[in-house]
Amino acid sequence: MKDLLSILTQLGTGFLTTIILFCLTLIFSIPLGLLVAKGRMSKNIVIRSVVRFYISIMRGTPLMLQLLLVYFGPFYLFGIKLRDLGIGKIDYRDIAAVIGFSINYAAYFGEIFRSGIQSMPKGQYEAAAVLGFSKSQTYFRIILPQVIKRVLPAVTNEVITLVKDTSLAYSIAVVEMFTVAKQISAAQTSVLALFVAGAFYYLFNFIVEIIMNGIEKKMSYYQ
Amino acid sequence: MSVLEMKDIHKSFGSLEVLKGIDLNVDKGEVVAIIGPSGGGKTTLLRCATTLETIDKGQIKIGDDELVTTVNDKAVYCSKKMLQDFRSKFGLVFQGFNLFPHFSVRRNITEALIHVHKKPAAEADKICDNLLSKMGMLDKADAYPCNLSGGQQQRVGIARALATNPEIIFFDEPTSALDPELTAGILKVIRELAEEKMTMVIVTHEMSFARDVADRIVFMEGGVIVEQGPAKELINNPKNDRTKEFLAGY
Repeated sequence: MKDLLSILTQLGTGFLTTIILFCLTLIFSIPLGLLVAKGRMSKNIVIRSVVRFYISIMRGTPLMLQLLLVYFGPFYLFGIKLRDLGIGKIDYRDIAAVIGFSINYAAYFGEIFRSGIQSMPKGQYEAAAVLGFSKSQTYFRIILPQVIKRVLPAVTNEVITLVKDTSLAYSIAVVEMFTVAKQISAAQTSVLALFVAGAFYYLFNFIVEIIMNGIEKKMSYYQ
Repeated sequence: MSVLEMKDIHKSFGSLEVLKGIDLNVDKGEVVAIIGPSGGGKTTLLRCATTLETIDKGQIKIGDDELVTTVNDKAVYCSKKMLQDFRSKFGLVFQGFNLFPHFSVRRNITEALIHVHKKPAAEADKICDNLLSKMGMLDKADAYPCNLSGGQQQRVGIARALATNPEIIFFDEPTSALDPELTAGILKVIRELAEEKMTMVIVTHEMSFARDVADRIVFMEGGVIVEQGPAKELINNPKNDRTKEFLAGY
């Protein structure tokens, strides 16, 4: 019992890091994903090709490798001391984790948003055009709200995957929940901490599901 | 006085020439029905007039606003700013309604009034209420399109097109997606608009409706106007053989 309590308090701090990493990744990757979708559909072949290549790399290589590259890259490629890349008290490894997750998830979100945008009937654009809406009004008032509803189930999938993927940050030694769980587990030579961590992840995703279902329900007032 | 002037309109999709030099003038208060077989260019002509397609050559004007003119045999379109103005001069009613599904009936009608025409919300609401009561749909103001029948949706589509007080309204086969019973309701609404001397261009397959409501009928086939004339005369006494053949099918 005492063991469990100490595990819970130790995992608690790691869990906080996990939540922060999760939230920051969403905050950056969703708007970035919209840009990726736009770039992927660009009429400019250079922009389109570059974005396509970026998506291909992000989806085609392991996220763990990408994290390692973002973290160690500045040193091995440019000889920059990683210590110097931190912002104030924040260690660069935490920043690298947020960057790595964000650019990876932006690629996936980008493709989801693109599928949503391209599934919109042409008639919606035409109706908006003849009513005199500008391009940005059409996008933000007519298209995007409907796209959000369409992509919500796919986005929920990604968000749930992200909760679990945050554990990959242990590869660059970010002290998030999974890293802590592994340390405790090694010190106590017991898997209890890993089980508790698993329960935390599940609980987290359970809440994510409830929230996403709530949003979906809120948007079900129309078809 | 002409509200709509279309001169020598040419339009190709790739190597397929869809419009081969169409001239069409519509006077104020006039109702023109465009009939003809599918693929004859009726809808394309309408889409060119409503800025949804660009023409290769020709001239389009609504009132004093020129959308496009031709210089050195090439179509030259007006500026973006002018295009916005031009779009406020006409209304378009779609075959597939194209209502905004995430907006209530009221917002479908008022959104452009408030955000494009910068009218205060109260004024936009008043315009909306007037139009909806005219359409017999005031009780549906807060409903969403998915909860309306096709006929009701098309009424909203018409109300939305009328809201900005356009000089001319285009209808692209407004009843083609509706069953006969609902069709009658929509035709009644259009008939009432005709009685109010609304300037209208209607692409339709409803021959008897075209005969009764339109002042003039234009028969289009193969990208040209084959025959046109006063509605009753054209339907009852077509002169061109192709027109005769086409009308015999109805």
